Amino acid sequence: MFGFLKKVGDYTRDAVSAANYMTQGLAVTFDHLRRRPITVQYPYEKLIPSERYRGRIHYELDKCISCEVCVRVCPINLPVVDWVMNKATKKKELRNYSIDFGVCIFCGNCVEYCPTNCLSMTEEYELAAFDRHSLNYDSVALGRLPTSVTSDPAVVPLRELAYLPKGVMDPHGVPDTDPRVGKLPSQVLDSLPKAAPEETAP
Amino acid sequence: MTIASTTQLICFVVLSVTLVLGALGVVLLPNIVYSAFLLGGVFLSVAGLYLMLNASFVAAAQVLVYVGAVNVLILFAIMLVNKKENLAAIPGLGLRRLLSGAVCGGLFLLLIRVAFTTPWPLPGPAAVGEEATIRIGEHLFSDYLLPFELASVLLLMSMIGAIVLARRDVLSTDVITGELVDQGLIEKERTPLLLEKSPR
Amino acid sequence: MVTNTAPGLDLESSFEQALQGFGLSPGAAHLLWLPLPMVLVLVAAVVGVLVNVWLERKISAAVQQRIGPEYAGALGVLQPIADGLKLVFKEDIIPAKADGLLFTLGPVLVLIPVILSWLVVPFGQHLLISNVGIGIFLWISLSSIQPIGLLMSGYASNNKYSLLGGLRAAAQSISYEIPLALAVLAVVMMSNSLSTVDIVNQQSGSGILSWNIWRQPVGFVIFWICALAECERLPFDLPEAEEELVAGYQTEYSGMKFALFYLGSYINLVLSALLVSVLYLGGWGFPIPVEWLAGWLGQPIDAPLVQLITGSVGIVMTVLKAYLLVFLAILLRWTTPRVRIDQLLDLGWKFLLPIALVNLLITAALKLAFPGAFGG
Repeated sequence: MFGFLKKVGDYTRDAVSAANYMTQGLAVTFDHLRRRPITVQYPYEKLIPSERYRGRIHYELDKCISCEVCVRVCPINLPVVDWVMNKATKKKELRNYSIDFGVCIFCGNCVEYCPTNCLSMTEEYELAAFDRHSLNYDSVALGRLPTSVTSDPAVVPLRELAYLPKGVMDPHGVPDTDPRVGKLPSQVLDSLPKAAPEETAP
Repeated sequence: MTIASTTQLICFVVLSVTLVLGALGVVLLPNIVYSAFLLGGVFLSVAGLYLMLNASFVAAAQVLVYVGAVNVLILFAIMLVNKKENLAAIPGLGLRRLLSGAVCGGLFLLLIRVAFTTPWPLPGPAAVGEEATIRIGEHLFSDYLLPFELASVLLLMSMIGAIVLARRDVLSTDVITGELVDQGLIEKERTPLLLEKSPR
Repeated sequence: MVTNTAPGLDLESSFEQALQGFGLSPGAAHLLWLPLPMVLVLVAAVVGVLVNVWLERKISAAVQQRIGPEYAGALGVLQPIADGLKLVFKEDIIPAKADGLLFTLGPVLVLIPVILSWLVVPFGQHLLISNVGIGIFLWISLSSIQPIGLLMSGYASNNKYSLLGGLRAAAQSISYEIPLALAVLAVVMMSNSLSTVDIVNQQSGSGILSWNIWRQPVGFVIFWICALAECERLPFDLPEAEEELVAGYQTEYSGMKFALFYLGSYINLVLSALLVSVLYLGGWGFPIPVEWLAGWLGQPIDAPLVQLITGSVGIVMTVLKAYLLVFLAILLRWTTPRVRIDQLLDLGWKFLLPIALVNLLITAALKLAFPGAFGG
């Protein structure tokens, strides 16, 4: 008899807690109804990539010394450095350099370790192609600079959330002159108390 | 002839033709799934005939019970065991078919004769119409109470039988320890599925 | 749309008299009148579906902080029409190994009972196609035809996902039909009638306070859960669970046949919402009884103008309540995760069915104890 009553009690408690959870869930979804959409109308609008954005890699052939550090630090030894030894000058002669962006994971190790800074990250992320082999960029393709979102006349550039002025949630219609929330590193440096002049001054 | 009576006649003819052809299809079609779907059609046209007799409650109940429950269960059973297999040829199939056809034909003739010889009171009793629901309820709880309850007992028995057949894996004694298990806990403390394969 | 002779406005007789004025016989005039309400309700159902699709897309977008359809018409209101046109012009494919006849018949069998059920939906005292005596029972019995269509299309597709989806749909409809019918039965018991008009009239005593939701809160919840399950809405959309069954019984369908399924499911949702508002939320009743308002304004209730306003308010109230429930259904869709098939059957048979039975018994007891409050 009491077993039955306990069962009924458990049953009721389960039902009540289920209803409770359901109400909580509905409250969450209902709360989302009154929030602004965060939609970016790509391709008419684009977000401005952040400063440290790791996009397609840019490469300058003239700076490269064919040291192959990029190959060694790459997790999968991806960059192909095609050089020959010039016996006369005893120098490496670079013929071609290529990175396959269908395989690259954009970790940025090559950029980090390049001794001559001939590799750098761009903000380009639209790498779609009809053929995966056309993602294998040679030195010429790697040397192209992407169109900046801010300078493209066909695109409305939008700031990302962290770059908006304080309290602003919607990137639409925010003037370029409005400062971002927080301070830039240079501003932080300015606000710091001036350090004592260094002893080993030149 | 008024529009109403013409419509009624057309409906009756259409429903009857559907009914007869459908019933023949149920019996004669080789594909059992078609037979099952046609059975649903037959039930629906019977419901239509009820509707034409002003028995809307009976028609709705016919649809709900026969189409919605019985026929769906038949379809379920067919589709869950729908294995394509070549059945062995039955010896003397033609003779068997002839015999069963003859029996059915005889039955049909008998029914025709009964239908023609019985003095039907025409026109029949006036249709109750919307009152039918109340009348059916009254009958079910007064003079037809015993058959009604017996039918429910029959259903209960068949349900218990189905459970016993389907859940033979759940026994009242614990398979490992051999002691009696609380009836309420049987489902929760199910024995491991791979018990037979474990070394004894 | 008028079946009985209304005290104020009688569309049927005035329409027929107008036609007879053109020299038609009374029988022919009646014949011309007959299809009008049906066509009107069919159009209403389809327009309701278009509105529903638009609402579904917009509300879903809002819940997920998106914009949703935007370019087709202002606020994307033409998007459902564009969707429909796309489906009309798509190629109608019947798979090579499918059973062509059953494949075509399946979606039709799914749609027809749903549309037929609109027979009994009242938008006002006299605003329904047919005040049949079995009213709400007709809906219950018609909705039980649907699983046959689903099984048919699932079987005819000759595809394991379709077959599984069809079987799941049929199992789901059968298990949720019973608590649904029991919840309806409790309401019917209070109003002493199966007719939807009588059910609404029984709730129209004192406005919002006399609605059935206060007397049948448990029944309301049971009915709503079962209605969602019958419409295969989330959290009960497992017949077409994308992650497991591609699209269930709809997998092989395209073009107009798919559109029939689509239409059927949305008409069913609107229909269920309408019936919830009829059974539990006072149907066409305004939260404050219109009779009181007319009395305060000193207008006789039979005056044609008052009749017209009452009728319009009735339609607006019914539709408004129904769409509030549709809104709740859409919100629930983005709140609750899909249940498993065993959880679904557990909920139906072990939870809703006993509760619906207890609800029915308690209603019967209360009806005997307080005949005034719970229908004599």
